[in-house]
Order: sequence, then structure tokens, then C-alpha cells
Amino acid sequence: MVTGSQKGIRSVLFWAGLVAAVAYCLGPFVWQFITSLKPAAELTMLPPVLPTRPVLENYRSVFAARPFLRIILNSLVVASGTTFFSLAIGSLAAFALARLPLRGRHIFLAFVLSVSMFPPIATVSPLYIVIRFLGLRDTLTALVITYTTFSLPLTIWILTNFFREVPREIYLAALLDGCTPFQIFYRIFLPLAAPGLSATAILVFIFSWNEFLFALTFTSTAASRTIPVAIALFPGVHEVPWGEIAAASVVVTVPVVVLVFVFQRRIVEGLTMGAMKG
Amino acid sequence: MLEATKSCIKTAFLSTLPCLLLFIFLFSFITPCASRDRPARETTIVFKHGKIAGDQRAFRAIIEEFERRNPGIRVRDEVLPSSTDEQHQFYVINLEGRSSDFDVISMDVIWVQEFARAGWLRRLDHVFPPRERELFFRGPVDAVTFEGGVYAVPWYIDAGLLYYRKDLLERYGFSPPDTWAELVRIAKEITARETGLYGFVWQGKQYEGLVCNAMEYMWSNGGGLMADGRLDALREENVRALAFMHDLIHEYRVSPELVTTATEETTRHIFGNGRALFMRNWPYAWNIFEREGSAVKGKVGVKALPSFGGGPGASTLGGWQLGVSRYSKHPAEAERFVRFLTSYSVQKELALTVGYKPTRKALYLDPELRKAQPFIAGLRRVFETARPRPLTPFYMMITQVLQPELSSVISGLKTPEEALRSIQRHAGRILEAGEPGRGR
Amino acid sequence: MNHRGARSGYLFVLPAAAVLAFVTIYPLCHVFWLSLHRRLLIFDIHRFVAIDNYRFLLTDDRFLRSLWNTVYFTATSVTLELAIGLGLALLLNRTFRYRGAVRAAILIPWAIPTVVSARMWEWMYNTDFGILNHLLGVKVNWLGSPFWAMNAAVFMDVWKTTPFVALLLTAGLQVIPRELYQAASIDGAGPWLVFRRITLPLLRPMILVVLLFRTIDAFRVFDAVYVLTGGGPANTTETLSVYAYKVLFQTLQFGYGSTISMVVFACVAAISVFYVRLFRRS
Repeated sequence: MVTGSQKGIRSVLFWAGLVAAVAYCLGPFVWQFITSLKPAAELTMLPPVLPTRPVLENYRSVFAARPFLRIILNSLVVASGTTFFSLAIGSLAAFALARLPLRGRHIFLAFVLSVSMFPPIATVSPLYIVIRFLGLRDTLTALVITYTTFSLPLTIWILTNFFREVPREIYLAALLDGCTPFQIFYRIFLPLAAPGLSATAILVFIFSWNEFLFALTFTSTAASRTIPVAIALFPGVHEVPWGEIAAASVVVTVPVVVLVFVFQRRIVEGLTMGAMKG
Repeated sequence: MLEATKSCIKTAFLSTLPCLLLFIFLFSFITPCASRDRPARETTIVFKHGKIAGDQRAFRAIIEEFERRNPGIRVRDEVLPSSTDEQHQFYVINLEGRSSDFDVISMDVIWVQEFARAGWLRRLDHVFPPRERELFFRGPVDAVTFEGGVYAVPWYIDAGLLYYRKDLLERYGFSPPDTWAELVRIAKEITARETGLYGFVWQGKQYEGLVCNAMEYMWSNGGGLMADGRLDALREENVRALAFMHDLIHEYRVSPELVTTATEETTRHIFGNGRALFMRNWPYAWNIFEREGSAVKGKVGVKALPSFGGGPGASTLGGWQLGVSRYSKHPAEAERFVRFLTSYSVQKELALTVGYKPTRKALYLDPELRKAQPFIAGLRRVFETARPRPLTPFYMMITQVLQPELSSVISGLKTPEEALRSIQRHAGRILEAGEPGRGR
Repeated sequence: MNHRGARSGYLFVLPAAAVLAFVTIYPLCHVFWLSLHRRLLIFDIHRFVAIDNYRFLLTDDRFLRSLWNTVYFTATSVTLELAIGLGLALLLNRTFRYRGAVRAAILIPWAIPTVVSARMWEWMYNTDFGILNHLLGVKVNWLGSPFWAMNAAVFMDVWKTTPFVALLLTAGLQVIPRELYQAASIDGAGPWLVFRRITLPLLRPMILVVLLFRTIDAFRVFDAVYVLTGGGPANTTETLSVYAYKVLFQTLQFGYGSTISMVVFACVAAISVFYVRLFRRS
């Protein structure tokens, strides 16, 4: 039996725990945001923790002196392209694996799972040689192809599970009506699995927005550079321009934060679906 | 309320998203093509270089002077990340990929051998003929020569120097040290009596600067990495030299621990704020110390680095050279630009404004330059005797072995013998790749 | 119909299979092939040396060091993530008013690029101007000291990936039937006993899944370490992937770099097999 005071203590502990958890997760961002508002002179003075006069010069110089907008656009293009192709190819395969009579289905699924465990470093050197040979170095296409491949396992896995949830009767009924498998896929299953599709889309988008190793290796100029590489290779006159890096980080984080807040339920669904059926 | 807004955003997002995605993706293929159709009324050459530490307007003025003298040629100068490792990686990846996006490049003295061997540079023997080479310092000329051909023109030169606070040395009755032992003794005595003062700061972070520092100690003790064109790292002189570096931090305590993560700018800030007695750095810092508002204006002295035995010290050769990419579409114009930038008058202008030390020996006798920067006369000797790091196309690979090993010595993780043995093994293996039998 | 369905089935799977094979199977074979050569890309040096690279690998002290670093990194970060993640999951298990918002807030570290996170923490770890030293009142050289650097990297990685663990464990917790808890409380069982006897055992499958993903991810870590410390100081934070990358793209030894990459692949494969066996047994 839990007494009233015990309940009170538990409640306090619970809320304290929550506050601590949120502070732990969001604290660094808050500090980065504060840093981005500090003028250059105050960056190297601590105290004061807060800027005496917050300025926007860091944000200005991030966008003025460098092709930052172009870089953001690059990331957007690559992430969108990856999401589109990954969903297109992956959903087709997932449908086949879920519903169509296919021999060797388990082997293929096992293969797909093993691909997701590939260490990227193991494939980067031959891929670099191939990309170089095809003249695709420093292009966004190279990134889209690579990212699509590495997000296919996740896509196929999640979507296969979602497609399996669609009742078998619907599939059989459509067959009886004389639909071709592709029609069944396109007209019936895709709409029914919309939540799964959006969950996957967001996860794939986040993955390719954040990818670093391949972007670092395959790109070299601002023409095709993506955000993670730009942030890692921030140029500067003196040592490291912490104020500008902070501003750039904030700019890059904000859309992700918005995305997460709006779609958090979907994201959770996607992640747990992928894990639980695994 | 929040839920309603959220679901509004969600629906709008999800319905327009697929179309937007496709549109953006297809759009990306159009933009690159558009930017490439530019009518060519005049030739534009692209000059890639690292960030200019000094007065950038003066540099722009020099470029505009070239454009004035050469109507029909425009120069677009593009800045690379300030880390030299990243600049190197940029060049390697782009020249490997035969990019024609740039024409003239500014190269660190240690890259030219590698780039020449890889076939990325145009031969510049006609731009830099033998009688011209006589007028330049020997060290850089050797560095840009590969298998008898000249692949770059030395632009400005650097060498390691010892900076000291002459006001503090005077106050305590010391003269600038000629040996490392003297330096340690002076530093200990003065820092014991002054507060908030580090003894001796230098660059010890795990990067190329550390190799420059370490070579100076090894050379000044009669050691070094190469002997008769072969790798010979495990020598008693080297062990002693590296042990001394380690002891500066951990035994004598004249160098603070932060030295193990310090680069040129870190130490320059510390010394420039008056918080260090001695500093090892390149010549560029002096101009900054003598600016208006500097905390150490008028208090700084510069001399050659000390040695172990009282003989001459050793200084690592640095500096940057101008080359023309083999894949350049405008080699003639590029060569003209290189000739311009390395001419007597432009080197003098750069020395006066930006602070780049000239590679032409005659400039050190130039009256105007000597008046503006009196200590430049003394630098000539240092530059003449500055020693290059091993001149081999494989140097860039070898330094990747050197840097962590040297770093582990000064942080106390490895003994000098262990580190040098490891260097001998790994660097030897790399040298073996190109010339089997060379490394062992 | 079955026949027709089967044919469409193969057709549907074909694009995915082709893409996957081209970008994974082919490179894997090529990497293995490269590892048997001395290949210096920019100098056009290309020699077949069979297992010479592997033989050198076994005596390469830098490789052994990076292997140890990787194992240490994996073990410490996975353990910490599990512990903290479990705590967060237990917190989130209740329904309370702002649960969605808290869940989103907790997700954010996971959602941002690792590079951004590394830069943020690099700034916080700064010796002179970092907020961490300021709050703790010390002057620790976090990223420059051989001892602290690795742990600093581990802590940053833990911060970034704990949300993922917490989320999965929350899902696992929600599958546990409420009746069990109710029965336990009627029986007068304390919270610790409930946790040990009911929660943990029923959470075991999910914990294993989490362990599998996280162990593999931690073992092949690259972004976090490369941007935060670059492998320094003195290679004390250099993990296998970072070492392989440096050999490949800084020294351009594509042969030896591929050898190291093969080792990473082999280790990850071994870990997967180990966990799958564990699954089968449970």
C-alpha cells in the first residue's frame, strides 16, 4: 500500500526526473543558442554567461560570406531525392515480400537486414573508386544513390511489417476482382499503409540529412557539399569561429526540431515498428 | 488547440510533400547547367589559396594591379579552409579528379614533391629559369624541383623563430639564450618572480606544426629523420631531442600543458596578450605584435632558435609556392599571373602590407623594406639556413605517421625510443611502396 | 494467379535487390580484392601482395590501439546508454499531460546531425571558454588530455543516442500487461522487486534488440570521433573506422586501408552472429 506522503515524494521525484531529463537533452542546444548571440569579443570571456548585448552578426556572417544557402539547398535536394527513391523502390519490394508468393523471401529479408549492419567504412573506398570512374565525384547524384541504398533496409523492413498488417481478405478480394498485382499495390496497399510511409519517409529524411562519412568523401566544393560536411569544415581566419559555428548549428537544427515536434508520434512508430518485429 | 494546429500542419505538409520533393529533386539538375553557360568575353583564371592572415584589401589591390596591366584577364581568388590539412585534401581530391575549376594554386612547401610526382603540375622551367633561381633562397628552390624539373615558383618563405620579451629579459639582466639549457634556466627564474606568465609556448597539437617543432629540436641536436637519402629515425640524438620536448612540459615545467593542443594562433594569442616569456613561431606574428593596440608592442625581440650544444640552431623551412594545375584551361594566363606575383615589386609590396616574407634574397637589402621592418635584415641568415622536412613525394603520407607518434611522446604516452621505432617501421613501409627496398 | 503473382513478385523486388547488390555486395568484393594489394591511388602504384597487408596488420601497434579504443568505446557507451535509457523509459512510461512534448524534446538529440552535436560539445568541452569547466569550476583539458578525451567522446555519444534507446525501451515497457503490476502491488511487492522480477525479464527481448543495434553502431562509430577529436590526442581516441579512413584518404593507401575496413566488417559480422544466436536461444 502506498501512503499519501510516499505518493507525494514519488510525484516530486518524478517531476524532478522529468525536468532533469529535458535539461539533459536540451541543455546543450540552449547553450549553443546563447553562444550564437554573443559578439565575437565576448565569446572568449566566461563569465558573463549571457551576452551583455545579443547581436545577430554571427548569423549575418554565416549567410553572407559563404554559400550557406546553397549548402542547405544541397542537403534538401539530397534528402528529398533519397526519400523519394527509397520509398519508391522499397515499397515495391516490401509489398512483394509481404503479400506475393515469393520463394527465398526469408533469405532476402535476412540479406536486407545484414546490409543495415554494414559498416560504411568498409564500402567507402571501392565506392569512391567507382564514383570517380563514373565522373560523379562532387555531385549530388552520387550521394542520392549511396543514401538510397543504405536506407533501403530500414524502408523495406518497416514497410513489410506495415503491409503485413493489411488484412489478407482485402488482397484476395482485389485479386478476385481481376486486379494486377501492381494495381493492388498502387491503388490499395499504398494508401492503406500511409502512416507507415510517412514514418519511413521521415526517418529516411533524417538519416540522409545527417549523413557525414560519404558526404565528406564524395564531395569537395560548395557545389555539392551538404550541411554536416560544411559544419565540420567551417573555415575561419583565427582558430575556430565559434560564434559562427553556433549560428550555423542553430540554423540547421531548427528545421529538425520542428520536424520532430510535429511528427514525433510517427517517428516513434517507425522506430519501434522496425525494432519490435526485428 | 495545439492538437488542431499540429494536425493542420501535418496535413498540409504531407499532401504537398511528395510533389515538392520531386520538384526539388528535378530542379537540382537544371541549376548546375545554368551556371555554366557564361559568355566568355575575357579569360578568367581562378586562384585558390588559404586565407590571408594580414591585410586583405592590400591583397585585393595587388590583384587589381595585375588585371590593370593585363586587360582581358580577370582573376578570381577563392579562399580555402584555413587548416592546411584540409587544403591538401581538397587539392588531392580535385586534382585526382582532374578538375579544371582552378588554375593557379598556392602550395605548402611540403606538397610540391607529391603533386609533381602525381603529375598534377605544369612544368614551370620557362617561367623560372636557372638564372632566376639564383636570386631565390636555396631551400624553397630545392623543394619545388623534382627529378630535374621545376614545378612551382616560391612565393613567400617561413622559418621557425624564437620570440622573446626583451623588456622582461632586460629587467632581470639576462641576454637572449643561445642554448636550450639557457632558455630553460632563464624561463624558470623569471616565471618564479613574475605572476601569470608562462615560460615557453610552442605548437604541440597533433598536426603538421608539431612536426615542424620536433624537427627543429632533432636537427639542432645533430639528428634528423633522413640520412643519405634513407630513413634513419632511431638515433640517439633524436631520442635526446624528443625527451627534451617532453621534459619541457613535464619535468622542467616551463611549458604549460595546454601546449599539447596549441597551434600557431593559440600561442600567438597567449604571447600577444603578454602571458608568455618565450614563444616559437613563424615570422608572421611579429607584424601583429607591432600593430597599434598590441599589448606587447615594442617589447618583442626575435632571434634564431637555440641549439643543444651551443652551435647554430635549426629552423624548419616553411612557406608557400605558386603552381599551375596541369588541367588548367588557361595555362598561359596562369603562368603570367605566377610570374607577376613572384616579381620583385609585388613581393616587396606583400612584405610591406600583408607581412609575407619574400623568397628573393635581394629584398632583404632593400632600403625601404629595412626601414619599415628593421629586423628583416637578421631574418635573411635564418631563411638561408632553414632546413626542409624530408623532400619526398611520400612526405604527406609519412607525416601522418609522424604526427601521432610525436604527440604521444610529448603527452608521455610513449617513450621517445618506442615512438621513433614505430616511425621507422611505418614510415619505412610507406617509402617501400614506391621504391621497394628504400624504406628498410 | 500464383504463377503470375510470383513473377510480379520477383519483378517488384528486382530494383531493390539490384541497388543493394551493386552498392554493397560489389564494393565488399572489391574491398577484399583491394586488401590484397598495395594500392597508392595518386601515384598509380598497384601491386598484388596477397596477405602481406594482413600480416603487417597483426603487428601494427596503431591498429591494435584503435581496436582497443573501439572496444572500450563500445562497451562503455552501450552500458551507459542502456542504464540512462532505461531510466528515461521508466519515466516516460506513465501517461502525463505533456508526454508528447517531453518525448519530442528527448528525441531531438537523436535527430540532429552527429556533426552538429560534436561541434556543440567541442565548444562545451573547451578548456578556457567552455561552459562545462565554468559550471564545474575546474580547468580540465577535456579534449587534449589522453585520459579524458575518450571519455568525453563516449559521453557525447551517449547523450546523442540515449533517446533512441529510451524510445525502444518505452515501447517494450508498454507491451508488459498492466495486470502483472497490479497483481504485484496487491501482493505488496516493493518497486525494486517489481523491477527485477517482472519488468526486466519481460523487457529482455527488447533489451537484446537495443543491444544489437547499439553495439553495432558504436563499433562502427566515425562521425562523432572524427569531428570531436580527430582521433587525437596522440591517437587515444582513434577508433577503427577513423584509422581506416585516415589511411585511405590521408595517406591514400587504398590497399592497407581496405584491409582495416575488412577487419571492421568481420568484427561487425561476428557481433551480429553472436546476438542472433542469443536471440534464438531466448
